[in-house]
Amino acid sequence: MNENRRQILDMLANGKITADEAERLLAALERSPSQTGEAVKYLRVLVDANDALDGPTKVNVRVPMQLLRAGVRLTGIIPATARDQVNDALRKEGIPFDINNITPQNLEEMIEHLRDLSVDVDNEHAKVRVFCE
Amino acid sequence: MKPEILPPLGATVHVKPAGWRRGIRLWLPLFLVWLLVLPLLILLLPFLLVGALVMGINLWRSLKAINGVLAATRGTHVEVDNRDTKFFIRLH
Repeated sequence: MNENRRQILDMLANGKITADEAERLLAALERSPSQTGEAVKYLRVLVDANDALDGPTKVNVRVPMQLLRAGVRLTGIIPATARDQVNDALRKEGIPFDINNITPQNLEEMIEHLRDLSVDVDNEHAKVRVFCE
Repeated sequence: MKPEILPPLGATVHVKPAGWRRGIRLWLPLFLVWLLVLPLLILLLPFLLVGALVMGINLWRSLKAINGVLAATRGTHVEVDNRDTKFFIRLH
């Protein structure tokens, strides 16, 4: 069984989500490009800088998208009390984000949107390109 | 065991400082590190279990998630090339 599917069924079994939500999540999973083999696999960062002090620098980084999925899965093991502390700390920093909202569906949606992500910064000292492939 | 659930088994590292005719090319057998870590983990298991029970963490899920993060690093590639050095690392 697919890991994401199992996670959704576990959440349903534990009463964290309703049957309707589970159905929607499973439907979203089936729609997700990972089922069709077109999943985004890597996040690429290319930097081509030419600093007067340090000279020319080239950076080429390729990070597997699976790392993002695994990292988000780590939030699932944070105890409830710690989650509240994390949320409070984020709120204090001006980031109104609830880590309880990180679900497999949200994550897959985010990764799906990353497919279109392309950040290009071009100035006289550096060219930076961030994209997914 | 599926390859995607295994942590990286090796790393290729190239380092070439400026002025060196030849750089250093290494293949690091990371699987040896995991082989060393495994007995340590088994020794620490009772302590981890108690810690997990006290903190209300599911130990099995935690270990699985940590292994997932390690496994997900496979395929990572970092290359830096500047005036002082050339550096390249890839996790397999």
